[in-house]
Amino acid sequence: MSLILDIISTAAILYLVAAGLLMIYGVMKIANFAHGAFLTLGAYVCLVVTKLGVSPWFALPAAILIGGFFGMFVEHFIVKPLYARPLDAILATWGLGIVIAQVITLIFGREVQFANSPMSGPMDVFGTEYSSYRVMLIGIAALLAAILTFLLTRTRFGLVTRAVIMNENLARGLGIHSGRVRFFTFSLGAGLGCLAGTLITPLSSVDPGMGIPWLINAFMLVMVAGSSMSGLVLATLLFGGIQILLSTFVSPVLGGIAIVLLAAITLRIRPKGFSND
Amino acid sequence: MDRKFLKNAVILTAICAMSCNLTFAADAIKIGVPVGLSGANSVVAPGVVQSAQLAVDEINAAGGVLGRQLELEIADDGSGAVGAQKAFDSLVFQKKVDVIISMETSAARNAGLPIVNKGKVPYIYTSFYEGHSCSPWLFVDAWVPEQQVPPVVDYFMHFKKAQSFFLIGSDYSFGRGMLSFTRKYIESNGGKVVGEEYLPMDGTDWTAVLSKLRASKADALITSTAGGAPNVSLTKQLRATGLNLPYGNLAVDEGTAKSMGADGQGIYISASYVTGIDSPQNKQYLADIEKKFGADLKTPNDLSVPEYEAIYLYKAALEKAGSTQSDKVQQALAQVSYQGPRGHVEMSKQHHAPLNMYLGQVQPDGSVKVIQNFKNVGPGAQCPN
Repeated sequence: MSLILDIISTAAILYLVAAGLLMIYGVMKIANFAHGAFLTLGAYVCLVVTKLGVSPWFALPAAILIGGFFGMFVEHFIVKPLYARPLDAILATWGLGIVIAQVITLIFGREVQFANSPMSGPMDVFGTEYSSYRVMLIGIAALLAAILTFLLTRTRFGLVTRAVIMNENLARGLGIHSGRVRFFTFSLGAGLGCLAGTLITPLSSVDPGMGIPWLINAFMLVMVAGSSMSGLVLATLLFGGIQILLSTFVSPVLGGIAIVLLAAITLRIRPKGFSND
Repeated sequence: MDRKFLKNAVILTAICAMSCNLTFAADAIKIGVPVGLSGANSVVAPGVVQSAQLAVDEINAAGGVLGRQLELEIADDGSGAVGAQKAFDSLVFQKKVDVIISMETSAARNAGLPIVNKGKVPYIYTSFYEGHSCSPWLFVDAWVPEQQVPPVVDYFMHFKKAQSFFLIGSDYSFGRGMLSFTRKYIESNGGKVVGEEYLPMDGTDWTAVLSKLRASKADALITSTAGGAPNVSLTKQLRATGLNLPYGNLAVDEGTAKSMGADGQGIYISASYVTGIDSPQNKQYLADIEKKFGADLKTPNDLSVPEYEAIYLYKAALEKAGSTQSDKVQQALAQVSYQGPRGHVEMSKQHHAPLNMYLGQVQPDGSVKVIQNFKNVGPGAQCPN
């Protein structure tokens, strides 16, 4: 039972961390290497909320808002001029990640800090004691997946976004303002990244480099998922599951590289990954 | 004319003699401190520098050593081997320091040792480490696994009735070194190790490891992770599982444990220094360093206090040797002792130091309470030849 919970909750965490990256990669075909820094930003939002002494739950909406506004700023001034040059965009976002981490270091210091968690301790799940926070993360991830799927498949925004993903020139010809779509998607992606940073804070420490270890796995999952939200759910469950099984039955060191390794193999065999188009 | 010349010559000579004498008297004894101001050690290094400054200022205010003042030469070693080579090179061959006294990473120490050997400069290493680093010029006044691990294991076995242990670490030389010694020590005392698991050094997702810990039904947990993020994430995730077993953390310092808040509560730590040591020397030290640095003070810890004591040990060795001559000081360093905040310290056991060790437990208010005091714990055979 505990093994199943481990797998589902690990997949949920991976999904939360990768969702924002997928939004940006799917629409813009830009690998946003500043995503790790967005995660870090979210964690420091959590820290500030703790220092203000209000309920840790406030960190969640605050992270989405701050991340979203920050994303708007970044899109307009840094990413927008580089749409035609995806390789330069990688460099620019990587550099942006370093800048964000350094600014955070200047303001908050290098050391590991601590933010309050909205929930703590274990709860009883079908007779197994399990971390209540991880159980809650499963719920949040499921909710987020439902919202994003609804947004992309059942709304005007989703329709327009998918049109831009499939064929940007044609979409523009039909009068869709693709620049605006990119602007909103990037902001949404940044907001989600920031939210994920806040959500993983109770599992990890708050320090300026905390986003980086998560970035690589998230990036690999997004490469495999292509631009499909359901592909991402599948990838996180499958790869997260294998990671946990390897860690449990073979060695945690091997489990640590499982996702990167599996992604490389998958892309070698099936370059499209899990997406259908 | 001749007389005038003679007179001038005498005056000139006198002036020269005076000024030469003055410069000779003002020629300070230089202490090189290569330390990780940037990189992994940047969080702890400032506290070490403060501790060194306090010792040097105190000694200088009391008239110096051998009629000369002490002077610090601080260099950034970048917490690693490459930076350490540059730092040691410049300290030993350009600044021509008389001694090197510093807390560094093992990588930096290993990179610096050949340079120290070549320059024939005594080197007092003031950081706890995995042990067995030997050189005629190297002296260590901090603990090695043989001194830190037994208090935790003994306490768990005798007072918590623990028979089966679970070990968790980060996959690097210090983590593995500490836990392999811990395993040996547990097994030689009749205990059982039911699991030993590692994550890569930057790993922070302990999900699978903690599930194994739960399944193992171990009586006690001992961890030795890399400092900072891995340690904090392990503690947080452990607390979230609700597992309640004696938890000894070989890699956490008092300050970090304190800032962990509720998650840190109950952790057992083993150290040669905790701020709660009840001795006049420690109280005096804490009052003095508080007075000197005020609000900027970094909490004194098991890395900064040995630096302070090492400078006093060097002073004692200089006085015993009667000069700064390297080979004489080297001989004296193994013989002198100092009564410091940690108690009696002498680097007499194969250049390593028998120490008082303290087993502490983190209290609800974040302070560390000394539970047991182990007097004069020997470092074992570190450099048998």
